Amino acid sequence: MAAVGRIKSKLHTRLFQIYKTSEGLQINVALKARLHNQRKILVRLCGFLKYNDQVHNCISINLALRCCRCVSGGSVQETQVSVHQQVNPYKLVETELANLYVEIKQEVITSKHELREIAEYYFDGKGKGFRPMLVMLASKALNFHKTEEEKLLNSQRRVAMIAEMIHTASLIHDDVIDESYIRRGKSSVNNIWKERKAILAGNYLLSVASMALSRIGNKDVVKVLSQTLEDLVRGEFMQLGSKEDENERFKHYFTKTFKKTASLMANSCKALVDDILDFTSCDNVMGKPTAADLSLGLATAPVLFASQEFPELHSMIMRRFRQEGDVERARELVAKSDGVSHTRLMAEQHCKEAVRLLQTLKSSESRRAMECIAYLVLNRQN
Amino acid sequence: MASILSIYYGRTGTFIFRNCDFIRMFTLNYHGFRVSLPSRFVSIFGTSRTSNWTKAVSEAEKLVGYPTSFMSLRCLLSDELSNVAIHIRKLLGTRHPLLKTARGFLDNGKHSLQTRGLVVLLISKAAGPSPNPSGICKEQDMISGIYPNQRSLAEIIEMIHMASLIHKGVVNLEDIQPGDGSRKDMEFGNKLSVLSGDFLLASSCTALAKLNNTKVVEIISKAIGNLMEAEFTALKDKSGNPLLPRNVTCSDWIEQTYLSSGCLLAEGCRAAMELANHSESVKDAAFTFGKNMALAQQMADDIGPFLDHNQGLANISITSAPIIRHVESHQKDIDDRLFNNSEGIEPKQVLKMVKSGSAIQECTELCREYGQRAIHSLDLFSDSDAKTALINIITAVTNEQQLGAR
Repeated sequence: MAAVGRIKSKLHTRLFQIYKTSEGLQINVALKARLHNQRKILVRLCGFLKYNDQVHNCISINLALRCCRCVSGGSVQETQVSVHQQVNPYKLVETELANLYVEIKQEVITSKHELREIAEYYFDGKGKGFRPMLVMLASKALNFHKTEEEKLLNSQRRVAMIAEMIHTASLIHDDVIDESYIRRGKSSVNNIWKERKAILAGNYLLSVASMALSRIGNKDVVKVLSQTLEDLVRGEFMQLGSKEDENERFKHYFTKTFKKTASLMANSCKALVDDILDFTSCDNVMGKPTAADLSLGLATAPVLFASQEFPELHSMIMRRFRQEGDVERARELVAKSDGVSHTRLMAEQHCKEAVRLLQTLKSSESRRAMECIAYLVLNRQN
Repeated sequence: MASILSIYYGRTGTFIFRNCDFIRMFTLNYHGFRVSLPSRFVSIFGTSRTSNWTKAVSEAEKLVGYPTSFMSLRCLLSDELSNVAIHIRKLLGTRHPLLKTARGFLDNGKHSLQTRGLVVLLISKAAGPSPNPSGICKEQDMISGIYPNQRSLAEIIEMIHMASLIHKGVVNLEDIQPGDGSRKDMEFGNKLSVLSGDFLLASSCTALAKLNNTKVVEIISKAIGNLMEAEFTALKDKSGNPLLPRNVTCSDWIEQTYLSSGCLLAEGCRAAMELANHSESVKDAAFTFGKNMALAQQMADDIGPFLDHNQGLANISITSAPIIRHVESHQKDIDDRLFNNSEGIEPKQVLKMVKSGSAIQECTELCREYGQRAIHSLDLFSDSDAKTALINIITAVTNEQQLGAR
């Protein structure tokens, strides 16, 4: 046993034991609480570990996963949780990511000054580069699986770059559609250069990405990524019509999320389609509905879950929360319902599945980093 | 779908009439309600000004075995675009450019009735079977002397053209004028424009990928990039309106024309050759043909309003070739009002100014020269009815303005 600690809450004091394992830590803790409170406890546990420098910047999600298993009943359970030593995913591909933006800028070679300015606007190195990072990690993990060498192939780096470009182009278009004026902490393209040029520059970026893609010279890669693009667009299109039937609506929602986010990643690293797809879907599915989402008329998963409990939400979804007071009322109902925790549960299942799939690859640093990401995504909204 | 089609009217001759019947029949089945043709249809039908052009195009259609206006039918009938068409109704009564563009898909003025696709098909046919047939192109797959993937390419070219037209019609919300429509309607129009343009672009990307030729993907992607660059040149202001800079030259005009229409036609022709594994010299010839045809067409369009006053002076673009030519050769004597956004200057004055010099004649000469170059580039191709059809189309373009001159 490595350590014993205790967490104090208002009512209980909990003991837990920490063991060191090859992959990180394992913690046993007795929990008796409603789901909601369990999460709080876990957050504290993380804080404790961090404080004791057991794990740097602890991402202890397995923890969360297990705890959510004992939702009902509320009996005392000895829960075993393992905390992985965190691998900072960005660290692993740091140099590659740093070069990425330089490479993108080399692709944007138009003589039209303003167009270049717009096209390069978001490649200031301040973006998270989540997608390219994932592509790179997946490539590395796969390469290691095959050759025992965690080296990135040139073509894989190109795919990462292209994924980032396509993603950025779609952001530019999305901001026009949603009329967002802030992106990544600065004025959005449509705010500065106005709608028309934003759209055209987005297209330009896409054409540059497509050119780079074709130069890789692999027909299948071209096919997969253009399919992605189509999925992205079809996803956007779904915003146009709300479907009548509620089950339909649910399915609709999932297709939409899949199409909007998952596809881009999934297709970027084909061999890992399922897991990556899963945990990125989590990303979108989770989270309480923000006022912004609702006022845009979007029904996120928690709202849809809540609507099973409170049927009055159906009609609000149908009119896309347009009536006065709809947004407030919807938020209220969602808060009352189990919508958010249901969604969490679902997201966690996805996440778990993703990690399970990752286990089929040989263990490498990149693989561990991807597992971390899965957890990160899940806990992002805490 | 239905609402796009209901505003359909034609002006290029008999084949349109045939298509209309087809479309009417089709939409009736498709949505279960009737589409009526506007009465304008008949009158425009009777007064086609450019009969040579019409004849050249309808002859050519027979050769490729496909009415050109069907080129984009497949994507117009997709779920997504029919959905858009239903929503477009909400824009009726506003001045959102999407309305005009939607109308234009089916009748796009005298030159643009999906002739890009037609030209790609014709040049494919003129070039003949592949000299080096790989697994992808088999001679027995050819229909009317054209490979199936060359037909797909023609459709792709049309889709890309459509997408860029739609996206160019996105409105800057801060520039909305009182008569344009409410801000909300214009926002909605923008949303529809962005989505449907994106849809077309994405569809063309998947269709391109299916051609199984990365070289072609590269060529066409480059053309898309060029189309976008066209909106960021010195001849365009921030809302995409023509702008005349002081130091304008004819090469600016050539660049603008190449970027906004030449590249798609030229690269489209080149890609068609690429698909059939033709030699480098044939590819270059096809490219030269497309480029010069686009230049000749634009030149003819630009000269038109200066010669034929029926077209109305309002049609004169401030960046049309004769004006640029005149400004270039008379740098010092030009009215300052012409530059910047040309406010406070009467079209009549512009006309008078241009007519005082020799710009119109020079441009006519240039137009003929582009036509000649286009025809000349076909020397590499052996004689065929497809080649003749291409030559006829070029001749129709370059002769048109002489008609007006008389």
